[in-house]
Amino acid sequence: MSGSRLHRSFQALILALLGLFLLNKLWNGTVLWYINSRFLPLTVIGAFGLLWLAQVRLANLQSTGEAEPARHASSPSTWGLLVLAFPILLGLLIPPAPLGASAVANRGFAAVAPARAGGSPAQLELLPTDRTVLDWVRAVNYGADPAAYAGEPADVIGFVYHDPRLTAGEFLLARFTLTCCVADAAAIGMIVRWPAAAELATNGWVRVQGPVQLGELEGRRMPVIEAQSVEAVPPPDQPYIYN
Amino acid sequence: MPRFALGLALGLALMVWLAGLRGAKLGDQLSAFSTVFLGIFIEAAPFLLLGTLASGLVEVFASPDLLRHRIPSGALGGALAGTALGFLFPVCECGTVPLARRLFRKGLPVSAGVAFLLAAPVVNPIVLASTAAAFGFGSLLVWRFALTVVIASVTGLIFSVETRPQRLLRPSALPTLQGGSQALATAWPRRTWAQDLNRALLVAGDEFFEMGRYLVLGSGLAAAMQTFIPQSRLLALGSGPLLSVLVMLGLAVLLSVCSTVDSFVALAFLGTFSPGSVLAFLVYGPMVDLKSILMFRQVFKRRGLLYLVLIPLVLTIAVTVTMNLLPTP
Repeated sequence: MSGSRLHRSFQALILALLGLFLLNKLWNGTVLWYINSRFLPLTVIGAFGLLWLAQVRLANLQSTGEAEPARHASSPSTWGLLVLAFPILLGLLIPPAPLGASAVANRGFAAVAPARAGGSPAQLELLPTDRTVLDWVRAVNYGADPAAYAGEPADVIGFVYHDPRLTAGEFLLARFTLTCCVADAAAIGMIVRWPAAAELATNGWVRVQGPVQLGELEGRRMPVIEAQSVEAVPPPDQPYIYN
Repeated sequence: MPRFALGLALGLALMVWLAGLRGAKLGDQLSAFSTVFLGIFIEAAPFLLLGTLASGLVEVFASPDLLRHRIPSGALGGALAGTALGFLFPVCECGTVPLARRLFRKGLPVSAGVAFLLAAPVVNPIVLASTAAAFGFGSLLVWRFALTVVIASVTGLIFSVETRPQRLLRPSALPTLQGGSQALATAWPRRTWAQDLNRALLVAGDEFFEMGRYLVLGSGLAAAMQTFIPQSRLLALGSGPLLSVLVMLGLAVLLSVCSTVDSFVALAFLGTFSPGSVLAFLVYGPMVDLKSILMFRQVFKRRGLLYLVLIPLVLTIAVTVTMNLLPTP
């Protein structure tokens, strides 16, 4: 059965489905929920590579004997091929979603993860209102004089995370930073003071405007926004901040 | 192999159970699991594909003589040459395993192949660049590369003590003359270039399924770890010169982060852990993690696998714990 047509057809089917699965994720943009955008070219190559392999398999369905590289004992059986269909199955069964509040609870906030050691972060030269959550976290942790940022206006978006360590009238405006894929995602955030914090739904995306102050959470320096406005916004196409 | 399907089903059931135990919202947890799993898989699949393509091309176009003339046959030379091979194939562990197995079949000495497997994920321009981006051109970068080269070569040397590769390698990774499985070696009369390419692609496809199973399984385990075991609990385990190294090694194996980016993950621990412990993460993680152990099983017999996992582990612990014990300069 080593080179049975059924086996080959099955391989071709799964290879093609995997390729189409990747293309679909690329097409509708949800691939950005999984990996850093700088890897997109590689994903495109991967998708077409899989389709190519599928095509070669189909083209060789008729050929027999010597055209066939023989298989050895450790090769998967026809049923074993199904393991490679697991990613597709999971993608279909579980509605895709970017990492959110539940993952923050498990991972905790990264102490210094998003920083690049050495060198001054260029982002600090941005206009205060152009800075992202990551830029602010870097500014208060690595800026030469964190106190200098106090009072500057922030205008940032993120998702709501109700951290149990915060007091009433506060919530965390959280983002995930990503270097490679979501396996290395690190949660960062700013504390937002907002009287109606409790009314905000966990995981909902909001835009927060207001002056920044220096604060602390369990001994770690954190940027705090004295919010003047908090409005709900649709989730951004790129949910993560790339490192 | 129904064992596999059964394993996956059991794993999923276990996750559901764990999620229920922790009283978390099951939907949220499963969704996070699915996202992390697909993240690792989508990221790694192209690398695996490139590795299997390289393997297919080696199978069809590289003759065993070529290797025999280029790779020194002495143990030390072989180990060093294997380490140097890493520069030529800048892929992470998902890509090196299929390639190494093919090179073994072409007669690459075990010592050189082992050194290649251990060193290639770190000793390459991409990882050099990402490590420099995270830590700057400092002592940690130098230590990471030096220690990786030393451990890879020493492990290769130790492997060369066993002169019968068939005691370490699975038949599918052996050259036919040394008792390798005959099936793989069926003579294929060389014809046109297009036919050769066609065959290389067929080989690559078979290997994609063979190695891909372990990528799926390893990604699943790593994603489950990340979703269901709070990182704070792992970190709370260890301080102290030995324990902190062990915790970082455990994290490296369980998280299975690709070597091209693990520097940025390690950076997060530099505040909490000593440089020695972070170095252990950076050196051992690329050599051995959940997904690579599963893939190594396709190349090595149990004894070989044990050596491959344990020798670098002991060496890493010895060096990094010593670093932790020495007073910081």
